Amino acid sequence: MRKYGILAAALFLSAFVGFAAQEITWMSTQFVPIAEAQFVRNELLKPFAAETGIDVKFIGAEYAEFVSRVEAEYEAGKGEIAVLCGLHGDFVSVVDALADLSGVAVGGTISDTLMKLGRMGGKQAYIPLMQATYLMVVNKKALEYLPEGADIWALTYDDLLQWAKNIYEATGMQKLGIPAGPKSLLHRFIHGYLYPSFTGYQVLAFDSGAAVKMWEYMKELWQYVNPAAPTWDAMDTPLLSEEVWIAWDHTARVKQAIVERPDDFIAIPTTSPDFDAAAKLIEYLTTPEAQVKILQGVGFFPVVAEAAGAVPTGALQILAKGVTAQAGSPDAIVSFIPGGISDEYKKIYKDTFFKFVIRGEPVDVKFLRAQATRLRELYLEADAPYPAPDGG
Amino acid sequence: MPSPSFSLNIGLMEARLRKLLGTDTLLPYWLLLPTLVFIGVFFLMPLFNAIMLAFRADNGAFTLDYFKKMVADVRFIETLKYTFLLAVTIVPLQLITALAMALLVNTGFRGSRFFLYLFALPLGISDLAAGLIWLSIFTQHGFLNSILYSLGLIERPIYFISYQNIGLTFLAVVVAEHWRATAIVLVILVAGLQMISKDYLEAAEVLGARGWKKVWYVILPMLKPSLQSALIIRTIFALQTFAVVLALAGNIIPVLAGEAYFWHFLYRNSHIASAYAVFLMVISIGMTWFYLRFLRSRMEVIRG
Repeated sequence: MRKYGILAAALFLSAFVGFAAQEITWMSTQFVPIAEAQFVRNELLKPFAAETGIDVKFIGAEYAEFVSRVEAEYEAGKGEIAVLCGLHGDFVSVVDALADLSGVAVGGTISDTLMKLGRMGGKQAYIPLMQATYLMVVNKKALEYLPEGADIWALTYDDLLQWAKNIYEATGMQKLGIPAGPKSLLHRFIHGYLYPSFTGYQVLAFDSGAAVKMWEYMKELWQYVNPAAPTWDAMDTPLLSEEVWIAWDHTARVKQAIVERPDDFIAIPTTSPDFDAAAKLIEYLTTPEAQVKILQGVGFFPVVAEAAGAVPTGALQILAKGVTAQAGSPDAIVSFIPGGISDEYKKIYKDTFFKFVIRGEPVDVKFLRAQATRLRELYLEADAPYPAPDGG
Repeated sequence: MPSPSFSLNIGLMEARLRKLLGTDTLLPYWLLLPTLVFIGVFFLMPLFNAIMLAFRADNGAFTLDYFKKMVADVRFIETLKYTFLLAVTIVPLQLITALAMALLVNTGFRGSRFFLYLFALPLGISDLAAGLIWLSIFTQHGFLNSILYSLGLIERPIYFISYQNIGLTFLAVVVAEHWRATAIVLVILVAGLQMISKDYLEAAEVLGARGWKKVWYVILPMLKPSLQSALIIRTIFALQTFAVVLALAGNIIPVLAGEAYFWHFLYRNSHIASAYAVFLMVISIGMTWFYLRFLRSRMEVIRG
């Protein structure tokens, strides 16, 4: 009961305040895979229950289920769910149903840049919990082919192309890996990295001249990407089997490679980080200890300053170093994951990629224009703001 | 001949059931009821819902938009092409292999049972698992490349699975699918072969038919109903092929069933996913009609 004040503040509805049981429900669109949910229940929440006497029931949910349940409970004026956890985009569509969290205590120091993300609808709609980002993981064998003058900690797109080309010319193998399988996060690479880097926008410059140049670049780069890439959903396996030496992916999807063979890999930044901010107020979760635990358990990164310096064991330090370098880079462009719109946007980015890069068709401005129109329609239909760096 | 004790038990059960369920006329319906309920709840209702989803917009109005969107999709033609290409390649190949295997098993040589079980083994493996097994064979550092390399046949690994060599990737899928799903055809054909009365074969032998002639003029025509069932089942399954292709070829070879899955789970539009499902169903019904129409078993073939 002692900590209940903090928990009550985290509730997204005032109607919950009278709810005095020792068990609360936490619904989340993150940590949904069984192994991750097990980790949350056993490693993360058990010590919390032991310490405070509050049992937390963790439920994983898909986005659609998440939104409809939050809306239903909000409209009914009472509900069962006490705490929510999701991506920035998950919260955009349910802002009205969220309680104001300003003034709520957190367990560590969260930077103002990150806290600002949660300010929506004139309130602190959520507190950042963890950040997920994407990075490149490199097998040390690739280092000898690094182009002259290239700085591995500030690699440019041209350096990357030259690097992959050098390896191909020396070994005859395509050692670059970008996941392009059906369940891969390829769309994140395109809308979160390529588009902002080449055009300055995710959406607004979809069919611009800069975008045409970008697709030409991708076609050139793809000559040095392992041809099995369209079957890969995550890069950890190809990295471990050395089918690729340089790979880009989500931190959680390459974590296994680094944990299993920490001496073989280093992590380096690309140019713009993509933050998956998750909201969760319980002080416990924002303590440096819990943050480090989550990093170890599922590969998401701490938002709390104290935890950034306290990443403990060897292997994960490699990832942490890459992420820090990426976020701290002076020319970093922050891109957000689109929120509140139909998931069809992923298909628009991916289809464009397949037409030009995999099927090798010439970059066709007319097609780009049609795709751009459809993309903007998705935002209009949902009345959703364009994600950063575009605006909104 | 059924054993006496077996039929006695059935008789006893039947008597008890009759007593329990009332009149003789109602009994068949009682017995059918569980099946009907099962089919109704788990098959017809979802089917009906899927059709509604494909034709009705969120506001309840009838629409063909989802089908239009499906056909206009950049991947649609490619998807259709690969789905048919796979079915057209795999089904005949499987039929021939299964027939050869069934005839071999049916000769009843010593150890033929062992081969029957061996051939039927892949039936017990889930399709996704089968896909992953073959992936570990065909992948760049997989078993096949390792063997070729250690034999000194290649200098560096061959990309069997590659968007730059779709033919080879397609072949890998065909091999995996052939290995995985031929057994179901085999089982149907073996059952069909065992139903052919020995009298016909003996008569054929008396009239001088030997070897291939016997197979061609007696066994194959008598096997037609089984061949027809096997063809229908395999073709429908081939059109729905998904897990093996997904595991082996990912985005390199898109198929219709895969698109339905992606629209539902990745792009979260169940209307378009249902449109794909309904489209697949229509093709399946069309193929079934085709087989029933053109592969009717005609007894006169045997007489002639």
